[in-house]
Amino acid sequence: MNMLTIDNLHVRVAGKEILKGLTLAVRAGEVHAIMGPNGAGKSTLGHVLAGREGYEVTQGRVVYDDRDLLELAPEQRAAAGVFLAFQYPVEIPGVNNTYFLKAALNAQRKARGEPELDAMQFLKRVREKLSVLHMPEELMNRAVNAGFSGGEKKRNEIFQMALLEPKLAILDETDSGLDIDALRMVADGVNAMRDPQRAFLVITHYQRLLDYIVPDFVHVMVDGRIVETGGAELAHQLEAHGYAWVAERKLAGAA
Amino acid sequence: MDAALLEEFGLGDARERAESWRYSAQALRALGAQSFVAADAAATPPPALMERCDWAETRGRRLVFVNGRLSAAHSDWRALAQARPEVRIDSGPAGATVIVLPAGRTGLLHIVWASVPGAAPGRWNATCAIRLEGGTAHVIEQHLAAPGADVLGALGSELEVAAGAALHLTVLSDLPAAASLYRRVRATLRERGVLCTTHALGGGRLQRFDFACDLAQPEARCELRGVFAAQGREHIDAHLEVRHAARDTASDVLWRGVADGRGRGVLHGAIRVESGADGADARLQTKNLLLSPHAEIDAQPVLEIHADEVKASHGATVGRLDERALFYLRSRGVPERAARAMLIEGFCREAFAVLDDAALGARLDTWLATHVAAGGERRP
Repeated sequence: MNMLTIDNLHVRVAGKEILKGLTLAVRAGEVHAIMGPNGAGKSTLGHVLAGREGYEVTQGRVVYDDRDLLELAPEQRAAAGVFLAFQYPVEIPGVNNTYFLKAALNAQRKARGEPELDAMQFLKRVREKLSVLHMPEELMNRAVNAGFSGGEKKRNEIFQMALLEPKLAILDETDSGLDIDALRMVADGVNAMRDPQRAFLVITHYQRLLDYIVPDFVHVMVDGRIVETGGAELAHQLEAHGYAWVAERKLAGAA
Repeated sequence: MDAALLEEFGLGDARERAESWRYSAQALRALGAQSFVAADAAATPPPALMERCDWAETRGRRLVFVNGRLSAAHSDWRALAQARPEVRIDSGPAGATVIVLPAGRTGLLHIVWASVPGAAPGRWNATCAIRLEGGTAHVIEQHLAAPGADVLGALGSELEVAAGAALHLTVLSDLPAAASLYRRVRATLRERGVLCTTHALGGGRLQRFDFACDLAQPEARCELRGVFAAQGREHIDAHLEVRHAARDTASDVLWRGVADGRGRGVLHGAIRVESGADGADARLQTKNLLLSPHAEIDAQPVLEIHADEVKASHGATVGRLDERALFYLRSRGVPERAARAMLIEGFCREAFAVLDDAALGARLDTWLATHVAAGGERRP
């Protein structure tokens, strides 16, 4: 059974159609990579799935765990297990990381009817996850992403993912702006979380990340829809030939 | 009556007075049109009001003024009045209270100004001076009013910081809709004197705060941090003026404003560097948040520099809640209301960030929850 089913999804942003009939099925335990050139609509897909306002779904549907995902508020999606690692994590001065994450985790648990964690239980869990990602505990006393370097922000996203333990994790260009060490740390964090009950949607522009997070499926997205699907090897072919190669093959096939 | 109030509360000539009250002229006019009797200085504050200033951490160190007059019955200064008193209370001219903090014996002092309305609208006037003779002292000033009839308090304060001394002043105001408060503070800092202030101004029909800080001698330094929060029909107007009058003086003004409902906020921040005050370092930053389409904030930064070698910067913004940040918090599971409150409180907390006092930090958090978190319940 599919965890996530996206069927013929059309989305407009500021009056312009960005997704033009996107179809995708994801099952628990799978890692799907979404690749594609700039402007293909990859980030739009991530935002629509997480529930950002300002995206108008004109056609199609998204079913997640037998529920209409598009009907849910962002916090309801989070409680249902959807997580989006932002391409540009937001700096929130004045809001302490510990305070924010405890509020987030406990709000999710409450919405699911699970008992909330007390300060000690929460701290224990934080320490566990920080050590997996080799991140300093000092990070928890700082304001959310405030003054973090690009790499620290991305690692903080993965840390939050590890802490919140989502069922469906969407990584939106988490590799952009990372040096090779940070990239490896991010990949290790993701690989440590691979699980038969969990699925990943890894949105990326480059094949590099997929050397570390080996996907089960690679989808190529061009102009708002998926034009090609293959295994991990497709990422390497793309790297060798460029996105134009896919577009040309599609045109040839259509003719 | 209107002109009389403007004359009483304004400084300078007629043009200057009108200019400094331009954003609050209507609110002042409405007050001026009302008739007040003298507020009863012997009034008994309701227990609920006294509970709000009965802080465990300041027991024995508290002076309580009721409708402008020091109330022995409600004060509690056991810890201050020992053999080597930490505080000396004198009477100044015209009924002024003079609080002297001698060098080397200073701790914590909690001054409460409680307005207690009577049957008819009441007014009180008071003057108070705080003189720090040396060392470091922490003064907490709290402004409260019981709900009821209109009450208008006017408090003129003088702060004097001796050479090398450091005064930390934290001001919390927490006024109901019928209370108005006019405060004028003049601070004078001697050589290497330091004044660090944190202000949390909330509530009130009209709350006006005029603060003039004179960095009169070399290497004096002041920090003015604060937040104002106006909800409902509250109106808060803060005028901060810093004068660099000597070499190597420093000032840092960091202010946050939040207005919700039909709330109105004004922040006028003026820094003047006199000729000859070389080496001055002046910073002024104010950020403001509008939480409803009917709220209004006017931010007015002014820099006036007459010296050559000066570092000065200023910035002022008025904006709305960052929708990207809101989505970020919600996408992690924080419900919308809580996420809004978290963002607004965080925005304000930046101005409180330097406080290294857990108990006081908790007081300010409570203040924030009372005065700004309601904005989390409403969509703009």
